[in-house]
Amino acid sequence: MVGLSEGEKQFLSGGIEHNIRADGRTRHQFRPISVHTGVIPQANGSARVRLGATEVIASIKAELGKPSLLHPDKGKVSIFVDCSPTAAPIYEGKGGEELSMELSVALERCLLGGKSGAGAAIDLSSLVLVEGKVCWDLYIDALVVSSDGNLLDSLAAGIKAALSNTGLPKVNVVLGASPEEQPEVDVSDEEFLQFDTSAVPVIVTLTKVGKHYIVDATSEEESQMSSAVSVSVNGNGQICGLTKRGGAGLDPSVLYDMVSVAKYVSQQFISVLDSEIAAAEASED
Amino acid sequence: MRDLHLSLNQTQRVRLQAALDQLESDASSTAAAAASVTVADTIPVNHEDNILKGHGTSDLDGQVVATLCGVVERVNKLVYVRALRSRYKPEVGDIIVGRVIEVAPKRWRLEINFSQDAVLMLSSMNLPDGIQRRRTAVDELNMRSIFIENDVICAEVRGFQNDGSLHLQARSQKYGKLEKGQLLTVPPYLVKRRKQHFHHLEQYDVDLILGCNGFVWVGQHVDTTAKESTLLSDEPSGKEETDNAVPVETRRNICRIANAIRLLSVIGLTLSVESVTETVEESVRANVEINEMLGAEFYVQTVEREAQRRASLVRKRR
Repeated sequence: MVGLSEGEKQFLSGGIEHNIRADGRTRHQFRPISVHTGVIPQANGSARVRLGATEVIASIKAELGKPSLLHPDKGKVSIFVDCSPTAAPIYEGKGGEELSMELSVALERCLLGGKSGAGAAIDLSSLVLVEGKVCWDLYIDALVVSSDGNLLDSLAAGIKAALSNTGLPKVNVVLGASPEEQPEVDVSDEEFLQFDTSAVPVIVTLTKVGKHYIVDATSEEESQMSSAVSVSVNGNGQICGLTKRGGAGLDPSVLYDMVSVAKYVSQQFISVLDSEIAAAEASED
Repeated sequence: MRDLHLSLNQTQRVRLQAALDQLESDASSTAAAAASVTVADTIPVNHEDNILKGHGTSDLDGQVVATLCGVVERVNKLVYVRALRSRYKPEVGDIIVGRVIEVAPKRWRLEINFSQDAVLMLSSMNLPDGIQRRRTAVDELNMRSIFIENDVICAEVRGFQNDGSLHLQARSQKYGKLEKGQLLTVPPYLVKRRKQHFHHLEQYDVDLILGCNGFVWVGQHVDTTAKESTLLSDEPSGKEETDNAVPVETRRNICRIANAIRLLSVIGLTLSVESVTETVEESVRANVEINEMLGAEFYVQTVEREAQRRASLVRKRR
């Protein structure tokens, strides 16, 4: 990420103040988004999302496993983000690990709810096949191919698109004679169950630069941020998760305002994203 | 044409394909197509003359074979292949825009989208007080007051050093630090060498500098004659910042021009002041919002317009 000169920084913050950013967007506009689904045929579901110059690929792999002893009626989901060195040279080797961890944790918090699994956007109880014995383990892997700011929003959109594309194979379970025996499973190759993604939220990150906050910051704008709040909102306008980054403090009233702006912006974003996902799925067939 | 990142609907896809086909057919009808080669193509050469095999060629079984994709150029006995897309190839006298990455003893090191960093010597730079004199140790210590890291500078190529890196000079008033605008990066082969690289777009009050290295600067117009007088007077820099905010209308024009440049570079059209102003005027005429200039509809319209323009040129030639 190149640095910016003083003159450029002033131009940037002046633009945000006057509601005309460097590419002509207002403070609350997203960059054009493009979605392609089914990009990884070996995965159960996959999607590639481009938000301006930021590009991420998300893939979902489902494997049969045993539910944990604490929650025998719930399946398992794990999210892992990898920052590819093609995005930035500093991500080579261990360089991208910190950012990857931060993104994975933020996504898990927004999509998976609390420790007990309550409030998860993905209904974990729908993943269970035989209570206590067999369940689906979903491995959500996301790769950041190109980074130009706003990684969290693109990753959440990518995961939502990949989930829409996911088909879980139908499984015929034959219960063993005694309750301790492992049931036999017969994984079908033909029939698939589509995932219901209407409850999956999107994340809207509001970046505070000076006195104003902007939606969908580019990496240049992010370099000038004082703090950023990422709000995850679902289709009903409910808040599913909240993360704050950056060292500067925020007045609580500002935080309320940011959350309400995020709610309003997210409704438009969800409708745009849904139509893009539908178009991508239709063109793929 | 680079990979399209926009989602086009069906009609837009059809229109775009039609325009691209028309562009391709126009291109193949010109004479330049006959001289274009890809890697491992044989170059038609008269074997009786002593042909000198230049860059991009190689001798294979007595045949002259191209090692690059490009256009064959012949100069007397020299035959070489000029690549169409390549890294920036500097020449003496090029106007370039660069970013300072290091302040070193008696010089600044700039990043200019080239394989090596360029060097701007303290002696190749006009001193703030404008007097021509020997640079002293005090001048060297005050280098940071002239340029600091991450500053965007416009300069001219003075020559090459022995290891191939560039020597720059910024001795005229029009060169120097660039403020109040934005820097864009485009592929260097889209900026052809012309007589003028500094353009002052009067109707927008915007300076457009097309650096030959692919860095393009779009910013508010700075009067170069006024520059000298402000440098001589000792104004505190804090006062300058609040006085010289960019007005809203100029900011809109800067963003519009920057978007036009981004659009042209994605399509792959040569950047020149005429093509940029034409794109901007077209967007104003069609009432396209500034951020929608990067959208699918205006993209397709621009490609169609270019196809029509080239078709009319070909017709005029015949």
